[in-house]
Amino acid sequence: MSLKRREARLGWGLVSIYLLYTAIFWGYPFVWMLILAFSRWKFVGSPKFVGLQNFFRIFEDKIFWRVFLNTMNFLSYFIPMVFIASILFAIALNRMKYFKTFVTLSFLVAYVSSGVAYSIMFQRIFSETGPINRFLYNAFGITIPWFTDPQLAMLTIAIMVTWKFVGYYGLILYSGLQAIPKSIFEAAELDGATSWVKFWKITLPLLNPAIVTVLILAVNLSFGIFTEPYMITGGGPMNRTLTFMLYMYNTAFQRINPSYATTIAIMTALINFSIVIFIRKVIEKEVTVV
Amino acid sequence: MRKKMGEIILHGVMILLALIWIYPYVWLFLSSIKPPEEIFTRFFPSRITLEHYKYIFTMAEKMERPFLRAFFNSLFVTLTVTFSVVFTSSIIAYGLSKLRFKGSNAVFNFIIFQMLFPGFMFIIPLFVLIRKLGLYNTYSAMIVPFLMSAWSLFMLTQSYKTIPQDYIEAAKIDGASTLWIIFRVMVPLSRSTLSIVGLFTFIGIWDNFLWPLMVVKDYNKMPLSVLLATFNHEYAAYVGPLMAGSVIQTLPMVLIFLIFRKQFLQGISMSFK
Repeated sequence: MSLKRREARLGWGLVSIYLLYTAIFWGYPFVWMLILAFSRWKFVGSPKFVGLQNFFRIFEDKIFWRVFLNTMNFLSYFIPMVFIASILFAIALNRMKYFKTFVTLSFLVAYVSSGVAYSIMFQRIFSETGPINRFLYNAFGITIPWFTDPQLAMLTIAIMVTWKFVGYYGLILYSGLQAIPKSIFEAAELDGATSWVKFWKITLPLLNPAIVTVLILAVNLSFGIFTEPYMITGGGPMNRTLTFMLYMYNTAFQRINPSYATTIAIMTALINFSIVIFIRKVIEKEVTVV
Repeated sequence: MRKKMGEIILHGVMILLALIWIYPYVWLFLSSIKPPEEIFTRFFPSRITLEHYKYIFTMAEKMERPFLRAFFNSLFVTLTVTFSVVFTSSIIAYGLSKLRFKGSNAVFNFIIFQMLFPGFMFIIPLFVLIRKLGLYNTYSAMIVPFLMSAWSLFMLTQSYKTIPQDYIEAAKIDGASTLWIIFRVMVPLSRSTLSIVGLFTFIGIWDNFLWPLMVVKDYNKMPLSVLLATFNHEYAAYVGPLMAGSVIQTLPMVLIFLIFRKQFLQGISMSFK
């Protein structure tokens, strides 16, 4: 009995270290998040309760909906690009016999590139006189205004982010591929299935858990973009690369409106959640390998 | 025969793509050792120079952009946080996984619940807290909010759960104390999870940008990421030094990745389960 109680006391002792810490650095901000969202406050004095006013304001906020469209715009470029590229990467890697380590490392080094440094790097690579435009000019006699054209700027950022994440997502899909038993493919071959049929009827369905993981990671990433537009475009041209995080940051620290900024963060999280739930409902399937 | 051709083409294409993928890094590195006039005109430098590195360490100092100091700031903050996360989660996870007491499951579920919330929801309220605690513009502001992490606790608890209870009983019979059990039995057996936690914490903190941008205004306390960003905003014309600064900021992450690539790959295949 006393042994059991000693164990319980030790357990609570250890866990309470975390609970105390989390009460301060998670619980307290959590409460403040709710206070801020329902009040008006400018970093000084005490918050004034305004009910749902901050949320109503969002629906009339043209910039917020511009930001929403920008994010949808980003998703519409980023998801197909990164998804197709990483699934091709995974399939090719699965078939490779030599140089596998070299290829994996080259793609993954992009993944560990640091946000600020890689933004600076791509800003110059895509700049007017940068190597990409110089190559295009020499080959086709054209240059492309990667970051200055309102239509193109978000696409360029999506290309950068794709460069960074293909290796990571590709490897998640690759480990999904490796988990598929070879015998299923062999059985299908005996039944005379072509590689096209095998891809659509076996590979894709059995890869479902990995695909859902990648899609959710990619959506969450898209709602959290900050460094790239902050460093390169500042949200321009014409607010076309303004993201939720950048808008939140500007609202809190340039317009000195932390309560509205918190409301933006909550709305962003809600939109993010609903898209993730939508993906799970539509795409996620139970996979059973017999 | 046709199959063989296909294989050769596949390997050729993948190697070519791999080269394209590291091209930006090669360009960045070569730009940092090129004479300034060649950055946008040549790929390979006609001569190698270290003037950009010299510039960023000496001149930047005079422009009140102390790069060397920022490098050590980053190192200090990142190592402190990484050490603390690894240390606290190795101990606390023991309580969650191996000690039976009422409420341990509830705490574990709470940790999972915490992980549902994206970090950006709390960033402004956390800023309010840091100001109230008087930590604005201090090293503590970059360190204290990250000393423990729900994700690391979760990862390590899961890993501890797979260790058989017999090992612990055996150690107890030999008269081992709790700390001895944690650091001589649990930690060595969960080494791979622990190194994944350490690696991802290190990279996350080293690369953190938004948070230090919000809480540190003093150039002498800035981490490398924020200092490099201010340098880019104010001295964008100094392309060479900027490239050198970017190389310096990226290097630790790339090195750590290359050294621990095995743990990295493990971490990635885990993120799918």
